[in-house]
Amino acid sequence: MLRSLRALATMGALCAPAMFVQAAGSAEVSPIEPAQMRVWLMKIHDAARRQNFQGTFVVSSGNTVSSARIAHYADGGSQFERIESLDGQARSVFRHNELVQTFWPQLRVALVEQRYPLTTFPALLQAGGDQIAEFYEMRLLRAADRVAGHAAVALSLQPRDALRFGYRLWSEKESGLLLRVDTVDDRGAVLETSAFSDVEIGGKPQPDVVTQAMKKLDGYQVLRPKLSTTRLEAEGWSVRTVTPGFRQVHCVRRPLDSAARPPAPGSDAEVVQTIYSDGLTYVSIFIEKFDPERHASSASQVIGATHTLTRRTADAWITVVGDVPDVTLRAFAEALERTK
Amino acid sequence: MTDGIDGAAAATREKLSALIDGELDRPAVALACEAWREDPEARASWHAYHLIGDVLRSDDLAASAVADARFLAALRSRLAGEPVVLAPDAMTAAESPVVLASAAGRARRKWIAPTAVAAGFMMVASVSLMSRSPSPSTPSVSLATAPARAVVIPASAAAAMTPMVDARASAPRVLIRDPRIDRYLSAHKEFANSTAIGGFSSAFVREASTDAAAR
Repeated sequence: MLRSLRALATMGALCAPAMFVQAAGSAEVSPIEPAQMRVWLMKIHDAARRQNFQGTFVVSSGNTVSSARIAHYADGGSQFERIESLDGQARSVFRHNELVQTFWPQLRVALVEQRYPLTTFPALLQAGGDQIAEFYEMRLLRAADRVAGHAAVALSLQPRDALRFGYRLWSEKESGLLLRVDTVDDRGAVLETSAFSDVEIGGKPQPDVVTQAMKKLDGYQVLRPKLSTTRLEAEGWSVRTVTPGFRQVHCVRRPLDSAARPPAPGSDAEVVQTIYSDGLTYVSIFIEKFDPERHASSASQVIGATHTLTRRTADAWITVVGDVPDVTLRAFAEALERTK
Repeated sequence: MTDGIDGAAAATREKLSALIDGELDRPAVALACEAWREDPEARASWHAYHLIGDVLRSDDLAASAVADARFLAALRSRLAGEPVVLAPDAMTAAESPVVLASAAGRARRKWIAPTAVAAGFMMVASVSLMSRSPSPSTPSVSLATAPARAVVIPASAAAAMTPMVDARASAPRVLIRDPRIDRYLSAHKEFANSTAIGGFSSAFVREASTDAAAR
């Protein structure tokens, strides 16, 4: 067959671009109205809280892939969750509303955290200002797609400026449960994909499984990191101009350890973390005392969609992290100012 | 394709095509690979043959042309973002596939040069179409050898692509992974994605992903 092909190709015949043009053209659909966009986002948001589901969730970011078994139960207004990582060191996370316990069975270490409920997203949606629609444009990509064996609606969220990434969302047709999210840069390249590879929606809630496991702390070294709410101004800092679309949602003083890893012994240095959101994505600014021993020169790092920037400002060491382009992190870092 | 240069180029393309078909003997394979390595046009042809072959072999491949282009764009940006490997000199023997791989790495930029032949244009055009629309006022170039029904891609489409890629590739960027940064990442991801579109669960898996990446 390639014989004839060869003649074709040697002549320089171009049949492929016609196809590309056509495909690109058909992707042009009109944006979804802000009111309708709010309905979509609320449906997706609610499904993650109110639905019972269990399945395997895979995150592919940069050149790493991790997966976890997830079970989520909604029962009488409470949420219960069990997450078991399937890669690397064994780790189980149990959650009952804001109480989160992470177990590392091999290390016999458990982390008990009271997390802060972040209510930004519905607040941003319900404020009536169509905050999200101001900075993102939603389009229907495919009304009838399929993810992990479920009928799904594919939507795109395209940023209106260069300060944020775009997203492609696959929402399960009936429940609205988010089955897959792609984070996409300005050229359409996928930076990160999170998706269920299999999921069962609408099973019977089994909150006991979660609550029982959360009682079994015997034999574990239990760590309870303390996060205290603070204000940026009280810490002697202010942000001159907040990047368009973002607003501060939280500010804490905390040790720098989290559920992802057992806290390193002796790492008691506290940092101030202030979190900004545009309703879809987050940016964290960490501020700590500059320490020439630990803080090298300014640098930036990219893993999947997550960018990190570090720099020294006055006597402080600033780390800005977020699933946003570099330019946005720089804007945040430059707007930060010492007030005392 | 009547003059000498075009004739030689045609012979090279014939060789490459035969290589795809697995019809060359060992010394000829070496020659074809050398052409592939040295000549951007030959590389473009090589790629075009594969692309056309794919399209003819399966309708599915034809249907996912945009996805291919996206993949390619993603691959390009990843490659551009890769740390520079202090590679050994190219091997002289052409038998090893490793040689092809490293040659491909070095020649990456040349792929998107606006001067590439027809096949090259296909690649460039496909990427450009999804990222930026070419200006309609710029003159178009046609390919002398293309049949009348061939689709003409404006040169600006190809030209527009080049600076975009180069800008990204040359952007100052530290790629050495600093384990100290991972703790900030984890702390950030406790909040990130926990309320917006991802839901609580995905935030945890993303934390785990940070964890996995740190190992």
